[in-house]
Amino acid sequence: MKRINLMVVIAFMSLSQSALASMKVTVNGMVCSFCAQGIEKSILKMDETKAVFVDLKNKVVVIEAKDGKTLNEKLISQEIKDSGYDVVKIESISQTVAQFRSQAKDKK
Amino acid sequence: MKHPFISSGLSVLLMSIPITAIAAPMGFKNSWMFMGDFSKTYQELSLNYATTANDAFGFSANAMQTDNSVAKQQNLEAVYTRKLARWNFPEAQANIWFIGGLGSTTGNTFNGSKAMASPGIQVDYETTRFYSMASARVYAAQGATSNITTARLGASFYEVDYDQAQPWLVIEAKRMTFVSNQYEFTPMLRVIHNRYFIEVGANLSGQPRLTFMYNY
Repeated sequence: MKRINLMVVIAFMSLSQSALASMKVTVNGMVCSFCAQGIEKSILKMDETKAVFVDLKNKVVVIEAKDGKTLNEKLISQEIKDSGYDVVKIESISQTVAQFRSQAKDKK
Repeated sequence: MKHPFISSGLSVLLMSIPITAIAAPMGFKNSWMFMGDFSKTYQELSLNYATTANDAFGFSANAMQTDNSVAKQQNLEAVYTRKLARWNFPEAQANIWFIGGLGSTTGNTFNGSKAMASPGIQVDYETTRFYSMASARVYAAQGATSNITTARLGASFYEVDYDQAQPWLVIEAKRMTFVSNQYEFTPMLRVIHNRYFIEVGANLSGQPRLTFMYNY
């Protein structure tokens, strides 16, 4: 019984990890693509990053992890700071970058 | 065309200095910034590398000449750029930059080559639709000192997504004491698209102007 419970917990954890495979970062100071491209470039260089979407209008950056990888919140926060911006909030979200981008365009 | 300018207040504000009169004079950490500024009276090419989020080191070559091309001066320098302060707001950004060069200058108004120092400062404030900047830089050499002061205002036609090109209308007031003590006004069309930044315009005398920045 204990073994079954453990397996259920492990399965649930892996499910929730893949369901929340993206991070949505609210960033202060992003005013143009010329300035904000540093964020995209530095986060794309990270091994665990699959895709990045910079949403200038809503001042958020969405980062999607590669399958089986976990995004490092502290590292992402530092990269954004090194690009010259301030991180206001980091949230885990269930959408992929493609889904978030599509939703953002639908809102217009 | 050099117009007498309302200069007192602005001049006091700006103090003195020539500058690559564009947006941020350096890129993000571990990036290269390549910049150019070309007009009849001023030409500059510069390159720097950002070693941190706040510091960049590079080189600049620039040349100035009077409208009648009688007096000419060329400067070659190593340049240090420092982001002294940045304020990030939800909808805006403000910066104070120090730009300082050390190098040599040559010209046809004096003999030989002279050592030159070129300290300068730039302040800017921008949103996704509005841009303002003021800068001042002194090119100091024994018997051949001049300065450049610049102020810019700009507005974008509309907001864009990150991956779209954004056009702006920018108006610049610039005084290069090597050329004239009067301010020169130049309206320009600016286009920003990711790592590219270009401005094209002409001053009120019709002299063309081109600036660009490329960040990689």
